[in-house]
Amino acid sequence: MTGLAIQPWGNYSLALAASVECLRVTPWTQRATTPESLRLGVEASPEFACLSFKACTGHFIKASMEGVKYGVMVNSRGTCRLRYYREMQQKILKERGLDMYIFGLGYDGFKPPLIRYFDPDLIPFLKCCARAQQKTLTIDTLEREAWRVRAIECCPGDTTRVLNEALTDLDRARTVPQIRAFARGIKQRFEQVPLQHDRPPLRVGLLGEATLLRDRYLNHNLEEILGGLGVEVRNFFLLGDEMRTIFRIGLFSPNSRWRLKRLARPYLRHLVGGHAMDSVAHTLRCAREGYDGVIHVGPAGCMPEVGVRPILRRISRDMNFPVLECSFDEHTSHVGMVTRLEAFVDVLRQRQSRR
Amino acid sequence: MRNLINPFAGICRRPNAGPLKTGACRRDARCAAIGIPRALFYFLYPGLWQTFFDSLGVPVVISAPTNRLTLERAGLISETEHCLPAKILDAHLDDLTGRTPRVFVPRVLSMGRGYIACPKLAALPDAVRAQFGDRFEVVTIDLDENKKPLESTLVALGKQLGFDTMVAANAARAALQGFKNKILSNPDKAEDDPATTGNEALTQSGRGKRFFLIGHPYNLDDAYLADPVRRTLADLGATVDRIDDNRVLRGEGSLKWDMCALMFEALKDLDPVTCAGVIQVTSFNCGCDSMAGLYYR
Repeated sequence: MTGLAIQPWGNYSLALAASVECLRVTPWTQRATTPESLRLGVEASPEFACLSFKACTGHFIKASMEGVKYGVMVNSRGTCRLRYYREMQQKILKERGLDMYIFGLGYDGFKPPLIRYFDPDLIPFLKCCARAQQKTLTIDTLEREAWRVRAIECCPGDTTRVLNEALTDLDRARTVPQIRAFARGIKQRFEQVPLQHDRPPLRVGLLGEATLLRDRYLNHNLEEILGGLGVEVRNFFLLGDEMRTIFRIGLFSPNSRWRLKRLARPYLRHLVGGHAMDSVAHTLRCAREGYDGVIHVGPAGCMPEVGVRPILRRISRDMNFPVLECSFDEHTSHVGMVTRLEAFVDVLRQRQSRR
Repeated sequence: MRNLINPFAGICRRPNAGPLKTGACRRDARCAAIGIPRALFYFLYPGLWQTFFDSLGVPVVISAPTNRLTLERAGLISETEHCLPAKILDAHLDDLTGRTPRVFVPRVLSMGRGYIACPKLAALPDAVRAQFGDRFEVVTIDLDENKKPLESTLVALGKQLGFDTMVAANAARAALQGFKNKILSNPDKAEDDPATTGNEALTQSGRGKRFFLIGHPYNLDDAYLADPVRRTLADLGATVDRIDDNRVLRGEGSLKWDMCALMFEALKDLDPVTCAGVIQVTSFNCGCDSMAGLYYR
């Protein structure tokens, strides 16, 4: 069967893999970028390209070296560098003599080229979409539960173990009813984790660039580090929410585009590109909803996210609300990142104890 | 250091608005001085803003040209990960502190139909308001050629500042003429380029070929940033042609960032017989150039 490389999207890679099964291709993806993929990407990419581009390019190079003939990449019509990812990756692969065709996904007519090319039957295709959507929503629930439990677990690593087991089981689920039945058992799974309630967890929002928020190798496993420090994180990039926004079906959802726009308006009066407006809106939301702080995550030099950093700093000053800015590139030190997070959590604990 | 202060400061000149009522205008809030930082959009639209505000009778204060101190200040006060031109903008705004009650920072969204501007420029007025909002009122306008031609944008800006449509329209026309004149009289055109007057050794060794200098206008036209490159080339006797900012974008190709597309199209039209090579002046951490470089090559 033909292989199809899909960009790593954290745990959502499982759902994305499920979404292409009807195309009679074998999905080639990972739940996180690997060191080897990143090395390949860094070697092949322009020096000042963003980390997300380098990681994704490396992923496609690795896939191509393993004989995968096709890839799929999100097409963007926005202002940031994502717009050129697919075309540049195709050029890079060609320059290196690798034979892989990367399809663009989205904003290319009703039927994306990927669907036009593989031309799946309608019924299996719809079933596949339903299965992928259900898996995406279930992963959203798993993530939320893991953030809550990890902050108060007795033995570090228990939550991650339960989460990984759950994801393996979810990967095996083949039909929508099976996935729904699995989703109903999520609470019970996490109830196995022994909890300690001696101190209230801190609540911290994670926001910024989507790839960095989801790829635990690129973000140095922020969620687990923070969870281990007793922080209940809320990662503001959930693919289920994002899909609702993309397809404009969640008009009344708190994360709908118009709501975020309205929320951000006192500080940002125009769309910037990427998730920059979301970052501003979610920072304001966290400040109002009593979060202890937010961590703004992005690849070093990310055009939209760096562009709004003065605004985040202003919000922090105006609302006396801690904002930690973390930029990542291939040289980011894991130890340095852990130290920064520990210091930030110490500051938040002090603020918590003063309240 | 030189400060370009409008000689008409304090006197409201309103074209076609009948006799001047100077006393009344002095009290008029719309005639309060406006600061223009000598960075980014100042170079993207050379002469435009100054002529426009001059024509409206609004006194203009332009920050001093970039120098070493500007650069040092930029490093201290600006966002660490900004590209150099964005950092320099912050330093120029800092330079305007105390000299003007308001500054002009447009939101440049597109400079050509079918194209988009760098995303950092879309957040610029808000970022400036966030950082300098305590010091100035930030006057802004959305400049999107996909939605509205430049002239209409200028008219809207004039109206926003409290001038009536006729006055704003006249000022817009004058500004566009000033902008056109400034581009056409660009001293960097090959004929007058100081580099062409240097020793001819390199030119001769290159068999009369010329070098083509490309870059964003805010890098090429900021003397402090680009002059060392030009001087070096002049010392080497290189004949240099600068990219023509007046070039009309054809709307072809997939490179949609306006200034990058301009460079890309100029490169496509280069004649390899007469051109010895291309020199690109770019700033550290420029997101657009980081991707467009592959297209240029």
